[in-house]
Amino acid sequence: MWANAARANAAHERGSGIRMTGSAVIEVENYSKLYGDMVAVQSLSFVVQPGDVLGLVGPNGAGKTTTLRAMAGILQPTSGTIRIGGIDLAVDPVAAKGKLAFIPDEPQLFDYLTVTEHLQFVARLYGVPDAAPRIPVLLEELELTAKRDALPPELSRGMKQKLAIACGLLHSPSALLLDEPLTGLDPVGIRRMKETIAARAREGTAVILSSHLLHLVEELCTRLLVIRRGQRVAFGTIADIVADRPELSGRSLEEVFLALTGDDAEPSIAR
Amino acid sequence: MPAVPSALLFLYQRSLINRVRAQLARARSPRYIVAVILGVLYLWWALFRNARLGAGPFGTLAGSATLVPLFGSLTLVIAARWWLFGSDRGALAFAPAEVQFLFPAPVSRRTLVHAKLVRSQLAILLNTLIWSVLLRGGGGSAISWRRGLALWVVFSTLSLHRLGASMVRANALEHEHAGRRRSVLPLVVFVALLGAVAFGVLSQWPALRIAMQDGIGALSTAVIHALQQPVPSFALWPVRALLTPVFALNAADWFSAIPVAMAVLLLHYLWVVRLDTAFEEAALEATQHRAERLSRVRTAQGFGKTRSRTGRLARIPSLSLTGRPEVAIAWKNVAAAMRGGSWRTQLIIFTGGLIILAVATRSSSAHAGDVFLGVTVGWGAMLLFLGPLWMRFDLRLDLQRLSILKTMPLSGARIVAAEIAGVTFLHSITVWSLMVVPGVMIVQDPELLRSSGATLPMLLGIVIAVPTFNALMFTVQNAAALLFPAWVRLGTDARGFETMGQKLLTMGATSLVAAVALVFPCGIGVLTVWLSSVFDSPLGTWSILVGAVLACIVLAFEIWPVILWLGTVFDRTDLNDVGAPA
Repeated sequence: MWANAARANAAHERGSGIRMTGSAVIEVENYSKLYGDMVAVQSLSFVVQPGDVLGLVGPNGAGKTTTLRAMAGILQPTSGTIRIGGIDLAVDPVAAKGKLAFIPDEPQLFDYLTVTEHLQFVARLYGVPDAAPRIPVLLEELELTAKRDALPPELSRGMKQKLAIACGLLHSPSALLLDEPLTGLDPVGIRRMKETIAARAREGTAVILSSHLLHLVEELCTRLLVIRRGQRVAFGTIADIVADRPELSGRSLEEVFLALTGDDAEPSIAR
Repeated sequence: MPAVPSALLFLYQRSLINRVRAQLARARSPRYIVAVILGVLYLWWALFRNARLGAGPFGTLAGSATLVPLFGSLTLVIAARWWLFGSDRGALAFAPAEVQFLFPAPVSRRTLVHAKLVRSQLAILLNTLIWSVLLRGGGGSAISWRRGLALWVVFSTLSLHRLGASMVRANALEHEHAGRRRSVLPLVVFVALLGAVAFGVLSQWPALRIAMQDGIGALSTAVIHALQQPVPSFALWPVRALLTPVFALNAADWFSAIPVAMAVLLLHYLWVVRLDTAFEEAALEATQHRAERLSRVRTAQGFGKTRSRTGRLARIPSLSLTGRPEVAIAWKNVAAAMRGGSWRTQLIIFTGGLIILAVATRSSSAHAGDVFLGVTVGWGAMLLFLGPLWMRFDLRLDLQRLSILKTMPLSGARIVAAEIAGVTFLHSITVWSLMVVPGVMIVQDPELLRSSGATLPMLLGIVIAVPTFNALMFTVQNAAALLFPAWVRLGTDARGFETMGQKLLTMGATSLVAAVALVFPCGIGVLTVWLSSVFDSPLGTWSILVGAVLACIVLAFEIWPVILWLGTVFDRTDLNDVGAPA
């Protein structure tokens, strides 16, 4: 079944019009990840241009987090190529990682560093030249100023999430990978976060946003990558996707998502 | 079987079986196969081939009623730490999943306490097995079984005592006045016992001072004699009753002692179970909440608090925003040690205590300085070998956050080197602090230091060798964590005495690896000193310093390629190997 799907995927790839261009910030080419005999992701290809916000959606276990982790350099791909800012992650991981930021759904922080010290740590790690003036600005932007001397165990879930995002933004990454970035945030925090993400995109950052919140995806993302069982089932703007599946025309994004990821969905529509 | 106990039994049984299965499944990987073979050989050597203590000098000592008061006092001190500084998290805490499933379930608190007791038995039984074999090689004989049962009684009683102390403390802290009232009696009893032992020792102070002049052997005999006086002897009775069967050499002694030990165990069991009903229904939840809060604000290393009572955060060295990025990782680990492990507070107490003791013993008798220097050297050796097991602010802490480390724009080798450098730096300062002893001796009387045989080149040699040796020991520990993340305990949570046997075996294995690594450097060092003396070199005693420097250089050349290799292992390590969250 997987082999047939892979062939179908490859056929779509050839006809999809995806070209790995020099200007793309994130380029993923035939990425596959296997855990033993289990295929987590198979022959996934896509690009994200500067200023693009790509919504990575799919049902649980589709391979979204595995894909994000691979792009962040946390997981080694079984095969395929991932380039960040034109740098192959497998060839020069240090240079590639210097250009990206990955914010996981569960913030991973150091228990014994305060909020400000986290940012100082990241500044030193990434060699941020203008860190001193940027840190208070970021703290203010993410409403963390009042908590600048707090330790992570003293922060709420939402505050931890904001701190993780602040750490990710400090070195002005070219590629921003966000896994469920709104988890734990209050309504005000959600609005702020959406503004922050949109602002980064306007500045030219390539953003990949994985989320189950389809209204968020609809509001923020310029394109969608829908994956199911490790394979791409749709890629492009909502209009592109609907154009390839005329029967989805006029339906809500939720209905489109269910149609694309249901058991009878077929790979792969792409642009 | 009633539903709840059978459900708990199912939970623990299946968890154990699945865990063993998962560990065995990892043995299919080549590195784990090699580890299994080496581990089995090491266990055979450590536990069976090399364990003849019971038939050796230990056996003679065991029958002489010498060890019981000494071990009794030691046990009392350990128990005092549980009462005064609180037990570590292991004594109290249920796993997060247990809290989620068991606490809201229709399960009585007493059943939960019993579940906790049953669960702790696994570690106790394993520890009993290790110590039984260590104390009596061969196994299978009647005396081995008797000693094994006696050890089980000791470990089980101590486990119950620690749990009871934890509950009393947690209740007192959670419920303030009412809780404190209920905690008064056990605390009074315990302080009275400690006071009685201290009184017994202090009442024999003149005899102890005289014994100091005749060396450590005479001193320990005098201490034992002091502990055998009526008052401390009475205070130590419960501990003595527990320990006597362990050291009984014949069946008659054992059979007369074991019922009393069992009675002490039974009393502890009744105490812990009664604690549950004496406190309100919420006592165990309170205990749990307390444990969770404690685990957040302090690690089990020492008794450090992240913030002072006034809310001030422990100060750490500031980090420059520019410079080599790996320094940031080492700095982060230093911060964790100073805030989580309260390293600075412990160092100040430790160094201050050393100075006071050095001054006090020097003024108590003419030979006391020698005794104290001997104790300092022993303590230093213990710090060098055991310190890297205690101080875990390196990859053993950070592998749980592998997903963060992996996104850092640094090569694996630089990350590993930075992780090792931070703890090496801190632990070297701890060991260097022992130098206050010769410092005090010089201030008091320079002749005193000269007569002890210590020379300036020797002291400088030690100062130079300490960080290199620490780097080796921490490299071994970090290598074990990286190579076998599924088998090495990650995080800083210290485990209780139940795992003392496993710790002993781990220390032995680490020392064995270190010994192999030290052969060549030590050979170079010794050769340098020997050649200097044979050829009557003008270096004189300074050849010791030259030898130490050469040995350190050779050792550094051994460590560096290992770190580079560990860097490639780090780069290849998958999150699934470590079980770390993304």
